[in-house]
Amino acid sequence: MIEQPIRLHIRRQDRPDSASYWQEFAIPGHPDHNIVSLLMALRENPVTISGQRVDPVIWEHNCMEEVCGACAMLINGVPRPSCSALVAELEQPIRLEPLPRFPIVRDLLVDRSRIDQGLKQVKAWIKIDGVWDIHEGAPRIGPGEWAANYLYSRCMSCGCCMAACPQFGPHSAFLGPAPLAQARLMNAHPTGRYDKTQRLHAIMAEGGLSDCGNAQNCVRVCPKEIPLTTAIGELGRQTTVQMLKDIFGPR
Amino acid sequence: MSASIDNPHFLLRRLHSLLGLLPVGAFLIFHLWENSQSRFGAEHYNEHVVAALKGMNYLPLMEIFVIALPLLFHAGYGLVITAQMRAELARYSYTRNRLYWMQRVSGIGILLFLLLHVGMTRIAGFWDPSVGDDLFAHMQAMLIQPWMLGLYLVGLLLSVFHLANGLASMAIVWGLTTSVRGQTLFGWVCVLIGVLLAAMGIHGLMGFLS
Repeated sequence: MIEQPIRLHIRRQDRPDSASYWQEFAIPGHPDHNIVSLLMALRENPVTISGQRVDPVIWEHNCMEEVCGACAMLINGVPRPSCSALVAELEQPIRLEPLPRFPIVRDLLVDRSRIDQGLKQVKAWIKIDGVWDIHEGAPRIGPGEWAANYLYSRCMSCGCCMAACPQFGPHSAFLGPAPLAQARLMNAHPTGRYDKTQRLHAIMAEGGLSDCGNAQNCVRVCPKEIPLTTAIGELGRQTTVQMLKDIFGPR
Repeated sequence: MSASIDNPHFLLRRLHSLLGLLPVGAFLIFHLWENSQSRFGAEHYNEHVVAALKGMNYLPLMEIFVIALPLLFHAGYGLVITAQMRAELARYSYTRNRLYWMQRVSGIGILLFLLLHVGMTRIAGFWDPSVGDDLFAHMQAMLIQPWMLGLYLVGLLLSVFHLANGLASMAIVWGLTTSVRGQTLFGWVCVLIGVLLAAMGIHGLMGFLS
């Protein structure tokens, strides 16, 4: 069976500060293509539909199984990981654009370091023990709580939630949903909760929880179906209590 | 540690949220309820509503500290929040995203309406005492013009929407509703509150025309 060629529109940009432009490609069809494998095929022969040979398209990819988050981009207007975007399920021509609201490095490659900055800001880690053996196992946790926490541990920092957030972007200091959800996760951990006050204070500053506008796009686009808006509601409750403690004590 | 007090960012945002309900939202409900008595006619309205309010103890202080200043802070900080919005309604056509946009747009609309509304009633009363003495007739003369009635209807519906939707997002912000189910259920409660308030407000407007 001869497959129809796959039509592809890609928004390209040569430098971080240069203007973007569109290029059209037609790639020999293959029933199993996802967007990453399609871009790999294009890289072998980067010729536009008008026959012009161009520089290969730059994009990030790594795991090919939707756990690393590196390959997120705007596919037909929706932010999602490109490895799990199957060509057979996409409307053609497929439009590929860089993940919005992050600085563009080149073509479909964006600088997502703000996710890491956000994770640092909310102290999204747990101090397991000291530099010596504390002779104690990990604290126990109930299955119900574990199941609720597990949902948040699936975050792969792809940045889709932030790309869809109307409050996040170069114009604002807002951390975005992903780092907030990690603060919710770490606050629930039996050891992590010892730094709960610090984390809450971190999200009660500029760019913190109160910069969320509850548009709730994040939870709609999250490829891992993380209950981001529930995390934001729970953090709302935690910060309400923390605010009362800060004002009236005890701390 | 009192980091959240030393840095007012969070407290200001929560103050904005709180003032929207108390006293501003509560005043809106009271205001609509008072004016729904327009259906009892000019005499009842001028004596039992307007004159009774005018005779309230500490009225100027209450007008300034319970209505004007909280409203001005809520509106001013609301404009700051509105400037943070980068909504893409066409790309993300979800209900909550539209409500998020509408909350900010309605806020600006309400602000414009209030300039007109307060100017033509409370402020106009400073120069022309007859406005306050027979407010019913003053309102009737205004609302009898279809475009003015339309303007008041829009102002009313925007205000009621802003309060009802603000209540739903306030519940998330303060941590009352966290689960999707809880937020959806309370959202419908807010729809009901909004519909009832809108009905009462329209009833009040119609009362001036009878």
